Amino acid sequence: MSGSEVGRGARVLLPLAVALVLCAVWEVAVRMTHSHGLLPSPTGVVESGAILTSSGVIVEAMSGSLKRVLIGFAIGGALGIPTGLAIGTVPALDRAFRPVLDGLRSIAPIAWIPMAILWLGVRGDAALFVVAYAAVFPFIVNASLAARLVDRRLVAAARALGAGPWTVVRTVLLPGSIPMLFTGARIALAFAWASIIAAELAIGIKIAGQGRSVAGIGQLMVETLYVRRDVDALVFYMLVIGAVSFLIDAGLRRLQRWMLPWSDR
Amino acid sequence: MARLFEPLIGIACALAAWEIAARVAGNATLVPSPATVWNALVAMRGSELPRDIAASIVHLVVGYVAGAALGLVLALVAGSSKWFAAVIDPFAEFLRPISPIAWIPLAILMFGVGGGVPVFLIFYAALFPIFVGTLDGIRRVDPTLVNAGRALGASRATLALRVIFPATLPSIFAGARLSLGVAWMALVAGEIVGGDAGIGWRILWYQEFFQMDRVLAAILIVGALGLAADTLLQALQRRVLRWLPASEGTR
Repeated sequence: MSGSEVGRGARVLLPLAVALVLCAVWEVAVRMTHSHGLLPSPTGVVESGAILTSSGVIVEAMSGSLKRVLIGFAIGGALGIPTGLAIGTVPALDRAFRPVLDGLRSIAPIAWIPMAILWLGVRGDAALFVVAYAAVFPFIVNASLAARLVDRRLVAAARALGAGPWTVVRTVLLPGSIPMLFTGARIALAFAWASIIAAELAIGIKIAGQGRSVAGIGQLMVETLYVRRDVDALVFYMLVIGAVSFLIDAGLRRLQRWMLPWSDR
Repeated sequence: MARLFEPLIGIACALAAWEIAARVAGNATLVPSPATVWNALVAMRGSELPRDIAASIVHLVVGYVAGAALGLVLALVAGSSKWFAAVIDPFAEFLRPISPIAWIPLAILMFGVGGGVPVFLIFYAALFPIFVGTLDGIRRVDPTLVNAGRALGASRATLALRVIFPATLPSIFAGARLSLGVAWMALVAGEIVGGDAGIGWRILWYQEFFQMDRVLAAILIVGALGLAADTLLQALQRRVLRWLPASEGTR
């Protein structure tokens, strides 16, 4: 609209310069007020990042969390894809169970944490329940949508050529819904990653200060907040969590383009 | 007629499965039966329940309105100044993958345990989808409409208010609905981990007293509130976007 075009060099340098100035102002402000240790500072974040990485603390916590995310994600897919495909193909099932599923989907997964702890214990399985719960609904929604959008003529053609129901599912329904299933998987994984942090934070609050071993990034954050009181580390964890979210999303998008070049999204 | 009863069949199946699970477990703490939870719900009705629900709604509304307002203003400025956009875009792209959940410990540090934590999380959860959605909408406004408005002598303000803003509404709503799931979870998580009021906080409170029937009742209320929020947003979307062709307005 107004203003001249921003050149390519400026497009990179301008935000970088602003970021540097902001960091410098932030650093100076923290030093001037002698609030190091109370407030995070850029150099402090870098320092704790280096320490946490070289000592392996962050790697261990991250791999614990990521492992649970992947298991919960797999459980969500194993339950969600068949359910979604069934709902998407049989309209009566959809009408009967959609209200129930919508109701369950509206419960924030983290709200289940007390029941999950009661059923599965604080050791990590409770967080797993929350993650699987978070992952299952994107799978259901996208699988049912995919099944509904599969070209009916293809199904009819397969039937006319004598394909049984199982053959129709295997050769028409599944291949036709793969692009949308992929989208469902991407949303499910992103949601699973957010909810593992929430679940581990909630579990961490329960067991903080009891000297238990740290199991995941969420528990590590609670321990850092209440026991070690290292504000710089908290910011570092946050950045790492964001980086993982970014990598998950970018990686799955690239995988989708590579595996399914015909599907745009 | 049959279509009216079909959802009831689904609900009946779910309740039956729940009842069977409760009987098999044979332990009212481990799996409270539907009847127990209903009784808990009735007992909670007169006391703390309305206050908790009100507290959660206040958190949601205050945080969401503040986040949406800032997102809208930032997007409008970025939409009219390419220099501002060049600075703010990378920051938004940098912060966007950091989910509100990851902010919880820092929010506790900044605001202390209390209402500030869930409000901040909702503010943050609303900010980026609204900012990105609005900016995306502004960039995709049909230039013909803008030129037509200009040719007819519309001022900049009129143009922004009557042409550009309405044209961005569909993508704002799309972003808002997509982010509602994470926003709702951030609210509950914020109340559980760093709150002192609200339905999420109350879940943890009941857990302390091992009143699992009340815990489950509160969990169901979280679901009901989430469903209500989504339904409300959908209704608002339909109402505001009445002028859109159905295929675009309902996606």
